Amino acid sequence: MSILPCFHVRLEAIDLKGFIYSRATYGPKVGSIVDEEIANYALEYALSKKPDYAEVRAHNQVQDRIILRNDITETYVSAVDTGFCVRIMASGGIGFASTNRTSKEEARAVVDLAYKYAKSAGRKDKLVFAEEKGVKTKWAAEQKKKIENVAPEERISVFKEVNKALASCGVKVPAVMCQVFIDLITKYFVNSEGSRISSFAPKIGAFIFVTVAEQGKTEQAYEQFGYTGGWEAFDKWKIQERMIHNAKVLRDVITKAKAVKPGDMDLICGPEVTGIAAHESCGHPMEADRILGREMSQAGRSFIYKGGEFWIGTRIGSKAVTVVDDPTIENSYGFYPYDDEGVKARPRFLYKEGVINEFLHNRESAAKLGTRSNGSSRSVNYDREAIVRMANTFVAPGEFKEEELIEDVKQGVYMKSFTEWNIDDKRFNQRYVGKEAYLIKDGELQYPVARPVIETTTLKFWTAVDAVSEKVEFDAATCGKGDPSQGVPVYTGGPCMRLRGVYVK
Amino acid sequence: MSEILGKTEEIVKKAVGLGADEVIAKTTFGKYRQVRFSGNQVDIIVAWNEYVTDVTLAWKKRVVATEIHDFQGVDASIKQLIGLAKVSGENQAFGGFAKGSFHYPKGQADKRLESLDSPTELVFDAIDAAEKHAGSKVDSGGILLMQSEDVYLVSSDGPSGVDSRSAVELSIRAFSEREASGHGVECSSTLKDFKPERAGAKAGEIARLARNPKVGDEGVYDVVFDPLIFGSILGVWGGMASAFNIMIQLSVFVDKLGKKVGPDMVTLKDNPAPYSMSQRVFDDEGVPTGDNVFIDHGVLKTYLHNTSTAKIFKAKTTGNAGLVAPNPWNIEMEPGKVSKDELFSEVDRGLYLTNTWYTRFQNYAKGDFSTIPRDGIFLIEKGEIKQSLKDLRLSDNVLSMLSNVAGITKERQHVHWWGEADPPSLSPYVLIKDVHMTKSK
Repeated sequence: MSILPCFHVRLEAIDLKGFIYSRATYGPKVGSIVDEEIANYALEYALSKKPDYAEVRAHNQVQDRIILRNDITETYVSAVDTGFCVRIMASGGIGFASTNRTSKEEARAVVDLAYKYAKSAGRKDKLVFAEEKGVKTKWAAEQKKKIENVAPEERISVFKEVNKALASCGVKVPAVMCQVFIDLITKYFVNSEGSRISSFAPKIGAFIFVTVAEQGKTEQAYEQFGYTGGWEAFDKWKIQERMIHNAKVLRDVITKAKAVKPGDMDLICGPEVTGIAAHESCGHPMEADRILGREMSQAGRSFIYKGGEFWIGTRIGSKAVTVVDDPTIENSYGFYPYDDEGVKARPRFLYKEGVINEFLHNRESAAKLGTRSNGSSRSVNYDREAIVRMANTFVAPGEFKEEELIEDVKQGVYMKSFTEWNIDDKRFNQRYVGKEAYLIKDGELQYPVARPVIETTTLKFWTAVDAVSEKVEFDAATCGKGDPSQGVPVYTGGPCMRLRGVYVK
Repeated sequence: MSEILGKTEEIVKKAVGLGADEVIAKTTFGKYRQVRFSGNQVDIIVAWNEYVTDVTLAWKKRVVATEIHDFQGVDASIKQLIGLAKVSGENQAFGGFAKGSFHYPKGQADKRLESLDSPTELVFDAIDAAEKHAGSKVDSGGILLMQSEDVYLVSSDGPSGVDSRSAVELSIRAFSEREASGHGVECSSTLKDFKPERAGAKAGEIARLARNPKVGDEGVYDVVFDPLIFGSILGVWGGMASAFNIMIQLSVFVDKLGKKVGPDMVTLKDNPAPYSMSQRVFDDEGVPTGDNVFIDHGVLKTYLHNTSTAKIFKAKTTGNAGLVAPNPWNIEMEPGKVSKDELFSEVDRGLYLTNTWYTRFQNYAKGDFSTIPRDGIFLIEKGEIKQSLKDLRLSDNVLSMLSNVAGITKERQHVHWWGEADPPSLSPYVLIKDVHMTKSK
């Protein structure tokens, strides 16, 4: 069971099973550097087999995980996960092998395995990668306050303070569950085309789940935080404020909220709801590997496909809708300047003024569709193949102020945030259930509404947007995909959006 | 004693020597092989090897853990871990690790899985079977996973043992049309009687029946659940039986021990038996695993425990550790008395759902959730499949569905799929009355 809400599938990163039910994947801070020598050796050995393509990706991930239940520190896990993978293309097939044993003998063994597997794929349609030039570079995400200098007790105390603040905020909070993720990720990527990329990305994430009880009833909510950079993340997050706000919202849902009378009405989506919609019904269906069917058995396919109703150039929303995926936003949870195939990252305009514009590609999908990769290939660790992923997906800002959107609504709902949500595997039928939501009448917010629901199609949702506000806000999330599942850090976001005449129940 | 067990024991001794109150070290040497395929062709063949020792220790009720790779840097790692314990927060609820000396049966891994030279043959067996049932234009994708683990566990509190575990899974989704698909799985701990063509045939057959779907109508239906989708439901119900989830209110079973939560016909247990993909002879504390009935004829009988949660609930560990949270390994639903055909014949007008994904909750304590059926969705009239449907969502409540179980077949299947039907389960066809379905407007 996926205990805590997360994006689309059971995500190892925030699924309790991933790190407290069973084996942790973390180790002590010893030898915390990437073994470039063994990676270079593995590539050299791979090249001796004259493959069509070969790459080696070595990771060293210093990983700390803290779990707190109410005021109790359940456990502190601290470790280093080090290893490398080899990906080889030969005879039109791809083989991949990884290990966390760093010896030359093991390197030869995994290369042999990857090469054997590539040759044995036996494909009728031979795979190729879209063309790229080799890149030699180094990059590191900046830390203003180095995580390495923050003692474990300080790391714990930050979250204990959150619990204390919740305990004294005037709302009955019987259960708080907090999971903290701190990752210092060093990578070294080399390939047969001359790429040599070294990188360092520190990432901090937290996931907090609260239960509020009032009048014999309960309500629950979660909040996720994420940042690429140093401990300065906490200056920006305002965790205590946000969690106390959540607790009060849940109390109001129990004590003050009324049900919405179902019917067609206007809906204002807050940035959190805008963001989840951008992620689910734009970002995912625009992943080219999904469009091509490579994820058909797990994350599914897309309503966009060759020969179908929707393709590049087809209108999917109103002119007010532009959705961007941009890995280059500094300090964002999904930040990276080069992807895990060594391709330079750039913003991708997925829906542009309501029209399907550009898919997310890695080199394999780009070759299949006769284009170039746009740097969307990501992997969570050395033991997973890099696949097509989002980074930071958001609706571009418009020109309105938030209050202007509301002023012009005669009857409607303002859904500021969401709780339960899901979408079908072709990414067309979605549902968002409001967490903090208010009735709007004659341009004024009236009272909280309990769990309003919009359940509609991607086409209807984006077509109904008539106005977008000017201020973009982001939320951290963990996006799940792949088999075995790979939960990658992302941002979702956008401004407030106004949807005209949609059915809300 | 094997060399690996000896090295694992050395780690425990070192940690105790440095001041740890209790220590568990678990070494896993794992080999994992996966074939991923789509469009009836192999996309990639993947191998990953793991050589890892998980070390968990307690010092004055501070619980910390780390991982050591291939027995490298043991001294430094343990020293750092003890140092971490000394500055970490106290866990007042920590009740110690399991104490005692246990005898374990021999692990029953299938060693053939470690060295299968041509795994793609198994994949093509499944693809061919799907084609046979759904026609040559069928488009199939999925995975074949083979997993072998040797596990060595030593605890400073007494338990010490070796387990040998293996698993094999073939998962295939077949499309006969763009919006007509079926999903089949074949899951086992061994290659003996492992028949990928069964999964392919099931996927192909559902895909054939699913052709020309119409958008379904909202409403309240009697629903027959296929073993695969019911495996997803069992995963949710079983997870909610974890005592840790009770403590953090992520369960509908809070304060329901000894109470009726379903009809008499519902008996659920956790049992990582040798047939299961989750086979194991001990849990993460070294407690022998077993057959734990947690819902007995509709009555919630126990939560699933490790030593700490058992102490909190004044119960005994059920062999389900997880060092922080206990969890189910392999959920079994006791079989009913009817055949699949007899179960369908009980439905005058209802639905047959075959698979689902994206189950999400508004409130775990209340149990309100929705999930999106995928692959074959069928309208049943007078016990017969009448029409393929699409675009429906199941929006209901865990306790309501449990209470409304109205039929269970004799026939059961061992199922697991991705993160959706997880953990593995032994799952029958199940009829649930008055299930709420919604759709987009």
